[in-house]
Amino acid sequence: MRIELRDLAFGYPERAVGSDVSLTVEPGEVLCLLGPNGCGKTTLFKTMLGLLRAQGGEVLLDGEPLGQYSRAEVAQRIAYVPQAQTSPFPYTALDLVLMGRVAHRGVFAGPTLKDRELAMAALNELGIGDLAHRDVTRLSGGQRQLVIIARAVAQAAPLLVMDEPTASLDFGNQVVVLTEVKRLAARGAGVVLSTHQPDQAFAVADRVCLMRDGRIVAMGAPIETLTSERLEEVYGVAVSIERTRSGQIVCAPLYG
Amino acid sequence: MKADRTFWIVPLLVLLTVVAAAVGLRTGAYPLTLDGAINALGQLWSGGVAQTAEERVLLDIRGPRVLAGLLVGAALAGAGVVYQGLFRNPLVSPDVLGVSAGAGLGAVIGIFLSLPALMIQVLAFTIGLATVALVYLIAVAVRGRDPTLVLVLGGVVVGALAGAAISLLKILADPYDQLPAITFWLLGSLASIRGTELWNVLPAVLLGLLPMVLLRWQVNVLSLGDEEAKALGVEAGRLRAIIIAAATLMTASVVAIAGVIGWVGLVIPHIARMLVGPNFERLLPAAMLIGASYLVLVDTLARSMARIEVPLGILTAVVGAPFFLWLLWRGRHGWS
Amino acid sequence: MRIDRRQVMFGAGAAALLFPQSALGSQAFTDSGGRKVMLPDRVEKIFASGGPAAVVVYVMRPDAMIGWPRAIRAEEASYLLPEVRDLPKLGMLSGRGDTANVEVVLRTRPDLIVDFGSVRPTYISLADAVQNRTGIPYVLIDGRFEATADSLRTLGKILGVPERGEMLARYTEDLFDRLDRALSAIPENERPRVYLARGPNGLETGLRGSINTEILERAGGRNVADAGGQRRGIVQISPEQILVWNPDIIVTWDRNFHARIQARADPVWASVKAVQEGRVYLAPTAPFGWIDRPPSVNRLIGLAWLASLFHGDRFPFDFRQETRKFYKLFYHVDLVEAELDTLLTWADGRPPGAPNPR
Repeated sequence: MRIELRDLAFGYPERAVGSDVSLTVEPGEVLCLLGPNGCGKTTLFKTMLGLLRAQGGEVLLDGEPLGQYSRAEVAQRIAYVPQAQTSPFPYTALDLVLMGRVAHRGVFAGPTLKDRELAMAALNELGIGDLAHRDVTRLSGGQRQLVIIARAVAQAAPLLVMDEPTASLDFGNQVVVLTEVKRLAARGAGVVLSTHQPDQAFAVADRVCLMRDGRIVAMGAPIETLTSERLEEVYGVAVSIERTRSGQIVCAPLYG
Repeated sequence: MKADRTFWIVPLLVLLTVVAAAVGLRTGAYPLTLDGAINALGQLWSGGVAQTAEERVLLDIRGPRVLAGLLVGAALAGAGVVYQGLFRNPLVSPDVLGVSAGAGLGAVIGIFLSLPALMIQVLAFTIGLATVALVYLIAVAVRGRDPTLVLVLGGVVVGALAGAAISLLKILADPYDQLPAITFWLLGSLASIRGTELWNVLPAVLLGLLPMVLLRWQVNVLSLGDEEAKALGVEAGRLRAIIIAAATLMTASVVAIAGVIGWVGLVIPHIARMLVGPNFERLLPAAMLIGASYLVLVDTLARSMARIEVPLGILTAVVGAPFFLWLLWRGRHGWS
Repeated sequence: MRIDRRQVMFGAGAAALLFPQSALGSQAFTDSGGRKVMLPDRVEKIFASGGPAAVVVYVMRPDAMIGWPRAIRAEEASYLLPEVRDLPKLGMLSGRGDTANVEVVLRTRPDLIVDFGSVRPTYISLADAVQNRTGIPYVLIDGRFEATADSLRTLGKILGVPERGEMLARYTEDLFDRLDRALSAIPENERPRVYLARGPNGLETGLRGSINTEILERAGGRNVADAGGQRRGIVQISPEQILVWNPDIIVTWDRNFHARIQARADPVWASVKAVQEGRVYLAPTAPFGWIDRPPSVNRLIGLAWLASLFHGDRFPFDFRQETRKFYKLFYHVDLVEAELDTLLTWADGRPPGAPNPR
């Protein structure tokens, strides 16, 4: 499934956040969004999902405007991983992941056996299968984040939109998540994720989109787009882009 | 495993409810014999009318009263569970949108105008519903960023207005005649409930219950918050409207016949959640069963403690508060 | 000399207008609460501080009334003197749950505030508080039913109508004597067991000894709602309790409840002895309640009526004659036949649907 943003202007009813955003994400493609805090990444994501009304331009799923689809239809096509919030209710991890399957069922239906299998598979894929029956309010922030990601995986949507999915994760789990992203893309899903780590963009992204003040500053392959000049311009810090001996590209800030 | 443990709780609660109902039927001022009770049940089975005083007590007074206790308790607890999930707030009760204040106002107006008992109930029901409808319209008109917050604030405001109107009517009411009746109504009682009242409100309660049961999976998702629910494919706004209508229908019906009974809608959901967790599929029946048995037991106490009736609204809180404090003290925190 | 006196009176009158608090040439009086109050010489305007007081002030000095504590209903108005029907509603000023606007009251410049009811210390201190606040002499008169005759005499004296007070007191004492003589011949177990049904469901009642049911008890009925004298006041009961008590007589003034019981619509009530024997009585409430509402001297006619209902021939009571006499003597009105009929049918269970044209 292909998503296209055409001249999208987005923001809140009382405040415009961004405009002139045009991009597409093809199946199997990973697009990374980078930009300073407050540049509008989360707002853009919410607009892509139909949670906020676009203030101009349009969002097209497989060529059809977003508004043509019902919520369930949108959810069957796009899965959302928001920045983790604290739910006040002590659902188990499995319960929460099962909720990801709601869009695939009728309004009155409960989880099927297949739903349960997919949910457990998603939890296992992310390495948290043993947390299935634990109360999510007792988990750490990072574990909760993994549960949310597992939910998006279980949703089995052709496009995933992830808002800083590694934000609260420890080093090991960051790798787990990014590995999962690559795996999902390899299986044919499109993934849009925002991150604050240029390294992650270099590691998983097919394309990168740099944003500032609600506008796209640059877009393209990571190696071309994330130059040290661009990053310094956007983030205000000096960096050095280097290739490691194992062939990976890393972005090292120049402290001092 | 936790899943297994909660599996058995609902059947146990059914048993508890049956026991509570049996206790309620056995207890009362009028002496019943086992023979009399069996005869009465025979009469009921054969569709006859109660002949002897014993039959009358069982079939016309205690039977309907126990059933009323079950119905009112279940309805209030069920509505409470739904509202707490909907508003994601542990302090929310079915009264949050003003249905009890509105129903109270309706009943007080009826008493003030010296209307017959049936009209008082009808007024309570309709004004209770109208109050919530008003709050909902306000929320739609205001269209705030956070729909649930606007609803709650609207409910607080409209509820306060209804409360002010009630207070005004209390001052204007005849202190020797209407004022005591108003006071007693507002404290809640199952004393005057007969078979007819139960049959009158049962359809409304069931009509309110139906969407809540059918949509229970979606209600789970709704409790994650509007944005997440929408992202997962749930029509949050529409679902919320349906659920509020359903819960309000249930609440307004039972408040119309029983008066304002607090506590059940606020605390029973917590107790149920402590036992079976927040999954609405288990939580709704658990809360309703606990609410039903609780209210029947408390009402039985209310009418057997002394020769006169202790108002139910007082007793539900007095009995429930220490129990709940004990549950809290045992170390459970937050929502669990 | 004459001119001087007029000047003095003019000056005094001006002083009275300017300083309404200073009662002119007052006499000292000790009220039922033991309070020493300085009464004005002339009482032209009286403010009745509550429902019971309004009744006695109307009975004693209708010409001096300045208002009612609550609005008069249409059907009640026709049983009152025309002059008082349109008096404004001023609210209560007894110190508890006051609804009167003090400034409005003061503007009408009453000479005296009369309160009729409990004389317990709470109400004594409330009386003092109101008197200090308004500067108007406030007298507290014992409202207990037993003390009615003496209270009427006292009121007659302080309101400037001692002969009237005496006459009404004698009527009361006669009635009580007649009743007590009849009751002395009726042993306890022959007195009927009575239930007072209040509220739209009839499940509200007064416990034995409470002011709301004392008429029933004084008339020689045995109040079934008996908590052993431990508690008084209004309570709620369950229908089962009615069945257990199974009263001989039910008295109510709620028309809806009475109609429902008469129609035998409710199987529970229909099985009560009083309903089966047709002994459910509806008390008239025009212009004031016959058995309560408010608990004041209006209950005297109710007392006689109930006594005849309870004891039949042992307390003879000619409804038309006694009612006519009472209304003339106490309420200053001559009842025409139509009005008597209305009251009679009301007491028979058929209350009026429309107000009586007068």
